[in-house]
Amino acid sequence: MTTTATTTTAQAGGQRSTPLLEVDGLTVRYETLRGDVRAIEDVSFAVGDGESLGLVGESGCGKSSVALSLLGLLPKNARVDAGEIRLQGQDLLRLPESQMRKHRWNDIAMVFQGAMNAWNPVYTIFTQIEEALTIHQRGSMTRSEARRRVGDLFELVGLDAQMMDRYPHELSGGMRQRAVIAMALSCDPKVIIADEPTTALDVIVQDRILRQLKRIQSELGMSIIYISHDIAVIAEVADRLAVMYAGGIAEIGASHTVFGHPRHPYSWSLLTSTPSIKGPLRTLSPLAGEPPDLHDPPAGCPFHPRCPMATDRCAAEKPPLELLSSAQASACWYADQVPDPREQEVLR
Amino acid sequence: MTTSPQRTATTTGAGAEGPPGTPQDGSDPSGRGLATGRRARLANRIRVLRASFRENWALFKRNRIGVVGLVVIAIFAIMALLHPILMDTVWDPERYHPVVGYSAQEVELTVVEEIENPGQEIDLQRAQLRHDPTIQVGDTVEDTIQPAPPSLDHPLGTDPLGRDVLSQLMLGAQTAFGMGAVAAMTTVIVATFIGSVAAYFRGWVDTVSMRSADFFLLLPPIPFLIFLSAIYDLNMVTLGLVFGLVSGAGSTAIVLKSQALTVAVKPFIDSARVAGASGMQVVLRHVIPNVLPLTFLYMMFTVSGAISAEAILSTFGLIDLPMSWGIMIQTANDAGYILRGVEYWWLLFPAGLAVTFLAFAFYLFGRGMDEVVNPRLRQR
Amino acid sequence: MSPPLLKLYELQKHYPLDKGILRKPSRFVHAVDGIDLDIGRGESVGLVGESGCGKTTVGRMLTLLAEPTNGSVAIRSDQLPDHDLTDLDKQDVNRLRRDVQMIFQDPYESLNPRRTIIDAVTEPLRLQDLGSREEQQERGAEMLRLVGLAPPETFAYRFPHELSGGQRQRVAIARALVINPSFVVCDEPTSMLDVSIRISIMQLMRDLAERLGVSYLYITHDLGVARYMCDRIAVMYLGKVVEVARTEDLLANPRHPYTQALVSAVPVPDPTYERPVPDIKGGVSRPVNPAPTCRFIDRCPWADHTCESNDHPPLEQVTSDHRVACYHAR
Repeated sequence: MTTTATTTTAQAGGQRSTPLLEVDGLTVRYETLRGDVRAIEDVSFAVGDGESLGLVGESGCGKSSVALSLLGLLPKNARVDAGEIRLQGQDLLRLPESQMRKHRWNDIAMVFQGAMNAWNPVYTIFTQIEEALTIHQRGSMTRSEARRRVGDLFELVGLDAQMMDRYPHELSGGMRQRAVIAMALSCDPKVIIADEPTTALDVIVQDRILRQLKRIQSELGMSIIYISHDIAVIAEVADRLAVMYAGGIAEIGASHTVFGHPRHPYSWSLLTSTPSIKGPLRTLSPLAGEPPDLHDPPAGCPFHPRCPMATDRCAAEKPPLELLSSAQASACWYADQVPDPREQEVLR
Repeated sequence: MTTSPQRTATTTGAGAEGPPGTPQDGSDPSGRGLATGRRARLANRIRVLRASFRENWALFKRNRIGVVGLVVIAIFAIMALLHPILMDTVWDPERYHPVVGYSAQEVELTVVEEIENPGQEIDLQRAQLRHDPTIQVGDTVEDTIQPAPPSLDHPLGTDPLGRDVLSQLMLGAQTAFGMGAVAAMTTVIVATFIGSVAAYFRGWVDTVSMRSADFFLLLPPIPFLIFLSAIYDLNMVTLGLVFGLVSGAGSTAIVLKSQALTVAVKPFIDSARVAGASGMQVVLRHVIPNVLPLTFLYMMFTVSGAISAEAILSTFGLIDLPMSWGIMIQTANDAGYILRGVEYWWLLFPAGLAVTFLAFAFYLFGRGMDEVVNPRLRQR
Repeated sequence: MSPPLLKLYELQKHYPLDKGILRKPSRFVHAVDGIDLDIGRGESVGLVGESGCGKTTVGRMLTLLAEPTNGSVAIRSDQLPDHDLTDLDKQDVNRLRRDVQMIFQDPYESLNPRRTIIDAVTEPLRLQDLGSREEQQERGAEMLRLVGLAPPETFAYRFPHELSGGQRQRVAIARALVINPSFVVCDEPTSMLDVSIRISIMQLMRDLAERLGVSYLYITHDLGVARYMCDRIAVMYLGKVVEVARTEDLLANPRHPYTQALVSAVPVPDPTYERPVPDIKGGVSRPVNPAPTCRFIDRCPWADHTCESNDHPPLEQVTSDHRVACYHAR
């Protein structure tokens, strides 16, 4: 395949070659008792080989629905209205479940939120990873091969290999989460989706797990999609990030560029409302209002009711996601007027 | 109010940044705030009740079996309510009173050796005794019969004492509802209280009430009620009370305690304690209102049980009631019609099916309610 | 400096593990194991630590939701003469409740779902029997306006589920402040809120503290939040306070090896910043019948003979307003 010279918004800040995973115009709604919910609205992004992409946003912004779409695990009341998810050029959304199952774990694995509490308490960790291995590798593995494999994986995630014969309750939360990561790695996936992988963990454990994930990623050269509400975590682990709001992408680009100077007022407000413990303490700027009700999203730009920069145009027309440079794209009419977060007044 | 003046701030708004999450700015023209009148409070209550009713009704409607239960219950309720009206208007109490009425049906009967079609035939011996000793098989005689099969006058026929079965069935529905209501209320009060107190206070209160619950749970209700009726004259109210008590202090108390336990560990319970609530205040104002929905669910199951139990006991004639579905069956049984099979179906089926249907309907209604009140099943 | 509002002295809470009817328990979790802390009037003190360090238990003891095993809490109260919280009769407890209130973590669970907002806000007044019903309603409306839920009529008769998380937390704040407490325990009040809502709640709490002269004990695991909210920070590790200092001082110059690890483990929202690797071994254990030596000894990079042969180090002053419990604090 030949690559075009122009960068698309999906690739903003990323590699220009054909990406490993492409999400193109994905639109998903949920049918509920109260009517339809627009969970994902025309979301496009691409993840290159060995790249890490962060999806950041608040609860209900659609980031977890994106993860579920990638794995083909959307709930029954979800309807994919448009879009494609291409893994190495193959559209996953059009695959029958039996085909999709082959890709799950083998090509795309997931470390989901609270996974450390999802271990079955009556089996040892090894039994449970072995089960996953034999299901997805067609049982071509003998027990001793499986033990060796799990031992290697445990070493990779920084766990003592002897831990595999323990029961889940014998392990601490951090150890269980590492074991989850080992399980996700067990079938050599090309992409790992880490949905809030450290949310319930203490900072010291979180630090270790994030470092481990980064090391594994560079050693094995796999791609990782991090999903988090915590912009500081994303800043540490992701090469690129996409800021999501109300089911759509507000801004996407290389981490250094976006954190250096966000070009969407929502990204700006995420940055200015996250108190850092390093550097001077600056004024924090709260956002007015509440996230929109996706049963009935606002017209125009979905962020305009809360946006400090909103004008009449924002209420009427929805801004498209547009490239500002090869490293940054933003969906805002006034992208060039977004202030620098470092201009916030210093308190202490 | 005892507030120190320097700490009583009365400014509006939350601060310089302005209050996020408020639809309107703090521009309250009167500056006095809240309409504290009874009217405003009541109007708001009604608004909230209506909204929650609409929402719950939508959830309930999704479950077909619950709706079926509700419809059947409604049919029986209409029957119960219609009875006094019919007695006052179209039905002559002399003939239609369910207990003391009498209506003999005049019919032409064929004399036969052995009756195969009740209501059309009379056996030879009886005909010779009552009419003319010379009567032969094949002759016809004019006679009154009881029990009489359904006719235009008596849509469900008459019982062995010549009383209208439909009228009895309708009065029986009143009895069933009355007793069910007494049993249900008793269960709700007893079970909610025991469950909530045991869950909140724990310790010996919990131990004692749960051991007694085990006792009531293991107590077989029917033999126990038979035993009780031997000692006391049970009537509708006492039977309902006893049944409600056994269920309320037994199985229902255990279920509600487990529900109350999940409420008792919620932060709003701690919050009430920090605000200064005593143990009993916490139970009454915070635990009980949150287990009540589930209580109503179990109330439905109790009603089912109570209706069946009443039918069984009155079938044995152990209850002091003017009329009930059980008594209807008992009357038929005493007169020897039960073992004669389906020939005298109108003596057996109306009461028997009414008991089955109404008990089942309450159960189905309970299952439908389950969908509404049970957070586990309540998917959104 | 004026005398502190609240003085915790050797406060302890031990939970028995093997509780039986006739058996005397022999194993205890030392959830809180002797902590000393002063909180000044109008001051906001952060209590920071990982899960299981005992910070929540401290909050529960101060709000009388848990009974201390040992030690004392002295509070200067308008309602009572100087008093030890651990030694109160029932009447005193009720009067003290007017002075010590709490804001809980989970806005979805800390309000009774079956009571209206105005009911929740005025409940403390009713329970304490303050004022007539009309006065209570007035005061409730005033509090709603104060926390930014204005006009009060639009919120008063709603139920918690009709409000968003941020709005519910505002109600919880109104409820805690409605009886003019002098001291409020805040147990991670913003950790369950979305980032964009969190800041407005934090600002509201700071603003109200200033305006009403309330002291906070702000329990959190998030040093960033603590930096914004607190004048001083106390770091807890396995039931012990290991370091107390003014906020900026503690974050810039942490002295205790645990605080240093904690500070260096917090992610920084700046991809250009290279965070040092926290210097700490192993993981947290449970303090079941802990040895008398330093609680941190197993994980400490500096542990040596001194630490092994001595008891847990006392909190010692290194500079004014900066106390550390470590033999090697530099």
